Amino acid sequence: MTLIHLKDLAKHFKILNRHEGLKGAVRDLFSGDYRTVKAVDGISFDIEPGEIVGYIGPNGAGKSTTIKMMTGILKPSGGVIQVNGLSPYDNRIHQAMIMGVVFGQRTQLWWDLPVIESFKILKEIYKVDQRMFDDHLGMFNELVGLKALFTQQVRTLSLGQRMLCDITASFLHNPQVVFLDEPTIGLDISIKAKIRSLILELNRTRNTTIILTTHDLGDVEALCRRIIIIDKGKILYDGDIKKVNALFGAYRTLKLQIKDYSDATLAALQERLTGRFGAAHGITVAQTEEYWTDVTIDQARTPLADVLGFIMSNFPVADVRIVEISMENVVRKVYDGALQ
Amino acid sequence: MLSIGEYIRLYFLIETQYIKAQMQYRADFLISSIGMFFSSLATLSIFVVLFQSIPNLAGWSLMEMVFIYAFYMIAISPMQILFDNIWWIRYKVQSGDFLRYYFRPLNMMFYFMSERFDIKGLTQLAAGIILLAYSSVKLGLEWSPWKLAALVIAVFSASLVLISIAVMAGSSAFWLVNSYPVLALAWKIREFAPYPMSIFDGIFRFAFTFILPIGFIAFYPAQFFLRPEEITPVIYLTPVIGVALFALTYRVWTLGVNSYTGTGS
Amino acid sequence: MRGYIAFIRGAMLVGVVYRLGFLFTILGNIVYIIIAYFLWRSIYSGSDSINGLTFDQALLYVALGSTMFILLKTYTDWGMAGEIRDGTISIYLTKPIDYQLYNFFTTIGFASTSLVTVTLPTVLMLLFVFRIHIAFGVGYLFFPVSLLIAFIIGFNFDYAVGLMAFYTESIWGISITKEIFISVLSGALLPLQFFPAAIQQILMWLPFQAIYYTPLMMVTKPDQEVGVFLQMLAVQIAWAVVTYFLSRMLYNQAIKVLRVAGG
Repeated sequence: MTLIHLKDLAKHFKILNRHEGLKGAVRDLFSGDYRTVKAVDGISFDIEPGEIVGYIGPNGAGKSTTIKMMTGILKPSGGVIQVNGLSPYDNRIHQAMIMGVVFGQRTQLWWDLPVIESFKILKEIYKVDQRMFDDHLGMFNELVGLKALFTQQVRTLSLGQRMLCDITASFLHNPQVVFLDEPTIGLDISIKAKIRSLILELNRTRNTTIILTTHDLGDVEALCRRIIIIDKGKILYDGDIKKVNALFGAYRTLKLQIKDYSDATLAALQERLTGRFGAAHGITVAQTEEYWTDVTIDQARTPLADVLGFIMSNFPVADVRIVEISMENVVRKVYDGALQ
Repeated sequence: MLSIGEYIRLYFLIETQYIKAQMQYRADFLISSIGMFFSSLATLSIFVVLFQSIPNLAGWSLMEMVFIYAFYMIAISPMQILFDNIWWIRYKVQSGDFLRYYFRPLNMMFYFMSERFDIKGLTQLAAGIILLAYSSVKLGLEWSPWKLAALVIAVFSASLVLISIAVMAGSSAFWLVNSYPVLALAWKIREFAPYPMSIFDGIFRFAFTFILPIGFIAFYPAQFFLRPEEITPVIYLTPVIGVALFALTYRVWTLGVNSYTGTGS
Repeated sequence: MRGYIAFIRGAMLVGVVYRLGFLFTILGNIVYIIIAYFLWRSIYSGSDSINGLTFDQALLYVALGSTMFILLKTYTDWGMAGEIRDGTISIYLTKPIDYQLYNFFTTIGFASTSLVTVTLPTVLMLLFVFRIHIAFGVGYLFFPVSLLIAFIIGFNFDYAVGLMAFYTESIWGISITKEIFISVLSGALLPLQFFPAAIQQILMWLPFQAIYYTPLMMVTKPDQEVGVFLQMLAVQIAWAVVTYFLSRMLYNQAIKVLRVAGG
């Protein structure tokens, strides 16, 4: 049976149009002047047990809103959402038994208590029998050496250690689905690798469905077989990661600080690049941050070094940073039809 | 999903661990308990001094006042000890941290309140019990098993009144940006509680009996034990009022929880 | 000096933002005054004067006392504890400013705002809504100065409590104990005339009465000889100086224990 089923799911928020000043604040109290924000505007997809799905999109796209509806926090405005056959919002406590949730930024463990005590409390809450409990902890200890942390208070752990404990906790009761939100944020490469392999192993041995929301495309590449891209409340893409992989891997974004930047600079840049590299250069130029111009390059078509060299010889560049493609740029490319 | 028994066991498990962790900070625990001790007795000491200059207050003797105040201290303790986390609700709601309470198969009020256990409140509870025993001896009160049972029910109901008022006030955090003053004000209003209702004018007496039932936190229940011949039938409503008020508060809390959306998108 | 003035301004601006908070503070104080009104009315039923005070005088004393309590409430101890705990105190210690003065001027800034937004409306309410009777007299001229000195003494106590944060993680217990001691022993909650004679003698020799009893008596019994008031003022100033020096000494000790959050 399909584990997660969404059909034409929508969530609208009524936001009060606020007015300024003290008079305005008083007016607002009696005002009926709302505007409707469609955070989620009719999305549909099905997720089967055992899938690892990356649910990505820019900030404000509607990701968290969807997750909140899946976990029973928000009531949908329209459409259908079912997890394991039941409406999450109407069955919050019941559904919580089959779910695990990990927030990268906030721990779900008890701050002042030793790690093992948090686990023991969870064992009581989720009614995990002793055998399963010991097996789980044994497995985690084997995979990531967790035992050493057991007696430490959660508050004394480093970010990486805390994440490992949070992930352990989320799988403790053998849930059917685990929601991971930014699980590797702020962590160094070696811990990231550990966490990624941990998640893969858990999915492999227990067939746990995993929904991953993250801005870290490295996570997405390493873990997901399927990607759902959402933007402005609508699904942009839902399919195999291989197609999108091509999108990520080859792309690099050059962030340039161009002296005396003006609106004309952007146009000039595009013109000159087309002139130098031809019309199908696969380079996009945009101003996303103050002072920084983003030049996104498809390395399959145009070598980065050539582009950088060209720009630097023709424009006064004060500073350069090279980054992997950002989520925003991925979405922009998808809009531009990169996946057609 | 847990049964009542399992909830109790879980609560016990969580709090023993919590207390163990807090006990590490021995100095803080000791100093806080001492502070709490002084705080409990401040108003009482003022009364003792005051009664040097007056024979009685609206017909109530010093020992009777002590009894009422002791009952008050016991009745406010459950709120102080068990529901302490309500003071942090505004912070958690506004930072989005409140979302974490939705993810466990637990009743949210239980989960939220179980996060804190105010150990120093036990000092106030102990002081209250000692004072209650002391004043009953001095007043020559007799405690039959029935009376003791009634006392337990009275304390339970009285504590529900304050818990309800405070938690309802705290729940305003779901709708108001600056909800702290509401909670602070509700908390301040409890200071009306340890006084005989007869010193207040009719309007206040009415308000404290039927609108914001402060009278049921200490005075009316205490009156039942001190001067049973003076009580009006309304006193027997104490348990009903306590439970009904809490049911209302729980409704408000649930409304707040259902309407919460967290921060960001 | 100009630097310190800037701190006052800064604190005043922050204070203005908390409009709703001020309203509720006023309401909270009104709650207290209502309780006090009924309580003291009951105390005075059947007597015109107790311990040398009439009902009007006692009520004015207690109502003004609690209003003063709000005005004099500094959050210095908590602010300092926070700064010591998270290490931001090192910012102030490495600058050419005096930490105690910095705290003082900041708190005076808040108090100035509080004076206008809370104290003033409350006093007006006391006069016109509660119709508390006041008698005028010379004492009123001395009151503002007395109030300021009382503020200074109170501040020195708060500052000393804040310094305790160098020694212990949490100062809640110490802060509450200080508050209780001051409220009870200063005559803030109960005019000292009501205390047994022997205890009154002792209390008059302690610094606490200089914070509440002295200024409140200037307003409660304003019709006394100028000499009496000058003497009261002199005692107050003496305590202000003593508490100042004691707090400085405490600071010099405490600073040696400086352990700032690292890692």
